[in-house]
Amino acid sequence: MKKKVLATLLATSMIAATLAGCGNSGAGETTTPDNSTTTNDNAAADNTTTDNAAADNNAASDASDPVSTLIANTTGTVSLTVWASEEDQTLTTTLIDNFKAEYADVDFDITLGSESESTAKDTILTDVEAAADVFAFADDQINELVQAGALQEVAATYTLDVANENAAGAVEAATVGGKLYAYPMTADNGYFMFYDASVFTEDDVKSLDAMLEAADAAGKKVAMDMANGWYLYAFFQGAGYDLSLNDDGSNNCTWNASGATDVAQAIMDACETGTLVQMNDEQQATAITEGTVAAAVNGTWRAETASDAWGDNYAATKLPTFTVAGNQVQMSSYSGYKLIGVNPHSANVGWAMLLAEFLTNEDSQTARFEARGLGPANIAAAASDAVQADPAIAALAEQAAYATPQRVGGNFWAPAETLGQILASGNPDGTDVQTLLDTAVEGITAPIE
Amino acid sequence: MKNFFKSIGNYFKEFGTAIAKGDIGVKLSLLIMGAGYIARKQIINGLIMIALEAVFVVMCVFYAAPNLAKFGTLGTVQFEQKFDPLTMTSTVNDYDNSFLILLNSIIALFIIVAFILVYIGNIKAVYRLQLRKEAGKHINTFREDIRSLFNEKFNITLLTLPCLGIILMNIIPILVLIAVAFTNYDQQHMPPSALFTWVGWRNFKQLFTNSTTVTFGYAFGKVLVWTLEWAFFATFTTFIGGILMAQFVNSKNTKLPRLWRTLFMVAIAVPQFVTLLLVRNFFGDSGIVNTICANIGLTDFLKGIGLVGSHLTYIPFLTNPNWTKVMIVLINIWVGVPYQMLIATGVLMNIPTDQLESARIDGANKFQIFWKITMPYILFIMGPTLVTDFVKNINNFNVIYLLTQDVYVTSNQLLANSNAKEVDLLVTWLFRLTNEYYNYKIASVIGILVFIICAAFTLITFTQMIKGNREEDFQ
Amino acid sequence: MKKTVGFIVRHVVLAFLAIVWLIPIIWLVATSFSGYKGINTSHFFPETWSVDNYRVLFLEPDSVVQYGAWFKNTLIIAIFTCIISTVFVLMVAYTMSCMRFKGRKGLMSFGIILNMFPGVLSMIAVYFVMKSIGLTNSHLGMIIVYSAASGLGYLITKGFMDTISVSLREAARLEGASEATIFLRIIVPLSQPIIVYTVINSFLVPWGDFVLAKLMLNSGISTDWTIAIGLYNMLNKSLVNKYFSIFCAGGVIVSIPISILFVLMQKFYVEGVTGGSVKG
Repeated sequence: MKKKVLATLLATSMIAATLAGCGNSGAGETTTPDNSTTTNDNAAADNTTTDNAAADNNAASDASDPVSTLIANTTGTVSLTVWASEEDQTLTTTLIDNFKAEYADVDFDITLGSESESTAKDTILTDVEAAADVFAFADDQINELVQAGALQEVAATYTLDVANENAAGAVEAATVGGKLYAYPMTADNGYFMFYDASVFTEDDVKSLDAMLEAADAAGKKVAMDMANGWYLYAFFQGAGYDLSLNDDGSNNCTWNASGATDVAQAIMDACETGTLVQMNDEQQATAITEGTVAAAVNGTWRAETASDAWGDNYAATKLPTFTVAGNQVQMSSYSGYKLIGVNPHSANVGWAMLLAEFLTNEDSQTARFEARGLGPANIAAAASDAVQADPAIAALAEQAAYATPQRVGGNFWAPAETLGQILASGNPDGTDVQTLLDTAVEGITAPIE
Repeated sequence: MKNFFKSIGNYFKEFGTAIAKGDIGVKLSLLIMGAGYIARKQIINGLIMIALEAVFVVMCVFYAAPNLAKFGTLGTVQFEQKFDPLTMTSTVNDYDNSFLILLNSIIALFIIVAFILVYIGNIKAVYRLQLRKEAGKHINTFREDIRSLFNEKFNITLLTLPCLGIILMNIIPILVLIAVAFTNYDQQHMPPSALFTWVGWRNFKQLFTNSTTVTFGYAFGKVLVWTLEWAFFATFTTFIGGILMAQFVNSKNTKLPRLWRTLFMVAIAVPQFVTLLLVRNFFGDSGIVNTICANIGLTDFLKGIGLVGSHLTYIPFLTNPNWTKVMIVLINIWVGVPYQMLIATGVLMNIPTDQLESARIDGANKFQIFWKITMPYILFIMGPTLVTDFVKNINNFNVIYLLTQDVYVTSNQLLANSNAKEVDLLVTWLFRLTNEYYNYKIASVIGILVFIICAAFTLITFTQMIKGNREEDFQ
Repeated sequence: MKKTVGFIVRHVVLAFLAIVWLIPIIWLVATSFSGYKGINTSHFFPETWSVDNYRVLFLEPDSVVQYGAWFKNTLIIAIFTCIISTVFVLMVAYTMSCMRFKGRKGLMSFGIILNMFPGVLSMIAVYFVMKSIGLTNSHLGMIIVYSAASGLGYLITKGFMDTISVSLREAARLEGASEATIFLRIIVPLSQPIIVYTVINSFLVPWGDFVLAKLMLNSGISTDWTIAIGLYNMLNKSLVNKYFSIFCAGGVIVSIPISILFVLMQKFYVEGVTGGSVKG
């Protein structure tokens, strides 16, 4: 309850600030920061650093508010580069204009570049210094980005209480080693099941076996990208076999523990039917459009394709259960978030942080949902009726109970991809399943020097 | 080899004589490089040398010394950034960037070596001036020196810029990457946030030892074998295909040879990355070719004879290791043959007709003429290009990368554990290691090995070509 | 009778080969006129035809499609690259072919060996060299990257120059011509076919390279890109289903100038490349 009040208060102050910013910039400059400055008092409990303490003391004294100090200290043009995905360009341009209006006294030169959230890491790590000041990325990259020193720690917040306004899972996804490193932007980067309601009943979609039967009866396929560690995880984690990250960046993995062969067998059995088909995201998009696939494990980015293809029959739900050694086991998943990070090599770290806060505040997240249907990480924004009514986001929320944040080192992907490929193609070489799993785990857990 | 050491010996001997027998002007040049010229009234030459020396000294003090001082450790001060939440600004310490230290040190070493050569050359040149003066010969004015740069020393004028470019964009980067093979530069040690340092031969050892978790050695063997297979097939299929096609198109019995040639040329005119990406989708698992094959029953037929796995509903053109290897070679024929045809057309035009005529009179048939006269001639002419093509194919990045990246998933777990795939060439593998896994150290080792393989292969074949005075025979 | 059959068989085979070679190109052109934006997997020819893709390409630039800007960037880079590369190649080839000086053979062998080093590996070092002189994300930087080391590709041109009769140069020298005059007045005009060959080859480099360009132009701002990066980007997983037909349209447009160049220069090209490789 308290959070909600706070959020409303914040939102109002935001709007007030924006209005003031437009009409009378002189007044806006002093009121905005005063009202909305929230240093990490709450987060400080689990995140005590000397920096935070200093910030707290200062906020209490209120004599020199950091944001107005920053404005006062800023001379000349502030140059910032922002990277957002291709699909996000229009919206981000609008948000940046709003940001400029909010701090109308400062002369900004903000350049917007495009870089997909899913590949941001590849570009950034090649040369951190040349990367944008503010960039969007998917939460699976956070470990590598932190390790490469490409993320500025969110040591203090100013216009937005990042830790408390966003869903706990999103904050956890943005935290590494107890320190917050990024600003949650969306909470919809996980996966779940899309289906065509004319083929499957609500009962069918509860178990994979029933789905495969129904699909077979209708002459359709169920698609999943099993040759991808990200999706393959759903089976093993669901059956209780762990995959976790060590501090040095290597992985812990028990996918070859006793009984795990049943999981591998379950995947092979399901694929053996010929109704569960291995398809990557692009192939699924085509197959859904053409009508050969009637259900697919995928994420919100495919919502448009699916709803275009199935019209009123478009539906989404949590992942089904699958049969492991005769028992029904609920499939797990990775919960995915998109985050915004600030580059520590930025010449204007302060402004970059303020911009990151602005791009992820409640209004921006709401705008993002309205423009692109992306599920907000912000609690207040996510609570709105429109968000709740979205089938894909509702399905994600259902799946959330079985989802875990993605904490995995780089050695996972290639071995898991190959394992998935072998299982999906029915182990054509006939290798002993335990050996398959052992070899995969060896690769996944390979030590890092 | 003997000559090589002899010439090095002579080089220093001349230098010694110059110092020993030089007069005051030459000896003063040891300290002030322009002195010898000024002593011979070559004022401008002298001033240029003095300026060069001054620039070098400044470079040493401000650029070479600070970098070379850290060259042994590649830096010790870790990046540290402190953010002050009150002023919202951050301060960064004066940190070391291992990569820049390495890069700058190598550039500095390069400049120093170059300077030493200039320095020695300068002493010798000044001594030669002295000898000329003593012999009462004419000493060039500045204007005459400049003019000689467009005459007997024209090679210096012509080579300076291209060589500078090659040094900057080719030699220095190569030296840096060779050095990286002896460091631990990887994702755990990436500048600017982290430092890397020298580790000796460790990376080489890693590549040649196999353990259960580190399979680089295994992957290297596999990838190398496929690389050589690929280079062989790619080179010879396109070569022979090109000749046959040229023969076919340019035959007297073919109507409108120009039209046919132009038709095949269209395939070259579309940039390679467009056609290759297109073909990748063309042959995709759910691509148009598969749809057609399924419709005409080819997929089921292939399933029947066991070429396509029984659980598949499509032909795995670019997803099954064996299919992919064959497809890559076939697609490469598609890409490469028109180009080879073009070259072969030119060669065929120059074929000595008298030989063909006499063979015909002797009653040889068409195939005999082709195998006994045309082919040997073409092989003689195009032999050297075959060698270069072979090496080019070992390093043929585009075809493999564009056809398999994002599409091909390896089903060999040991390869997967080293981030390699069955269809990888050494170059695509090392590209993936650097671009996706930032494993520069292992990639550099692989790069050096590729280099050694190619260089050894070419050196053996090319010495035959550079040897002797064959060049003059044709002039 | 036998002759007619042979004639027909010959041309049927040729037609078959031509179809094999042209099918992907036909598919490219057909898809570029498709009304459906994604990859059409069930029909060879599009179900609906439209010129919309071309309209988007030129008239409606968005952050993904900046075709006009890319074309301009690539053209500028290509023109300068081609001038500098050709000049460098001619300079090196002339020295190696027509002049005799100490260390010539050593330099030649060294140049050949240098070319063996896999370029994709040293790319990252090239990037940092360019970054330290502040030339990443600029046309000038790209031109330097593409043309600076071009002197190494002298071999074929040198082979061509080797075939030019030495007596021509000697006669000129007797008349008092300097090396520079011989180079500019005698050798360059006689090397016309190989110059055309070099010009075409170096002109094509920026149109086809996406690896080095992607590394050097890393600002993320799509108007800075070259055509190759832009088109490659359209096949990004999240974009391919909306941009595949536009990619095809882009591919068709790039091919037009290159095709024209090829057809016009075909004769020279054949002469140049064979003249050069004959004596390699």
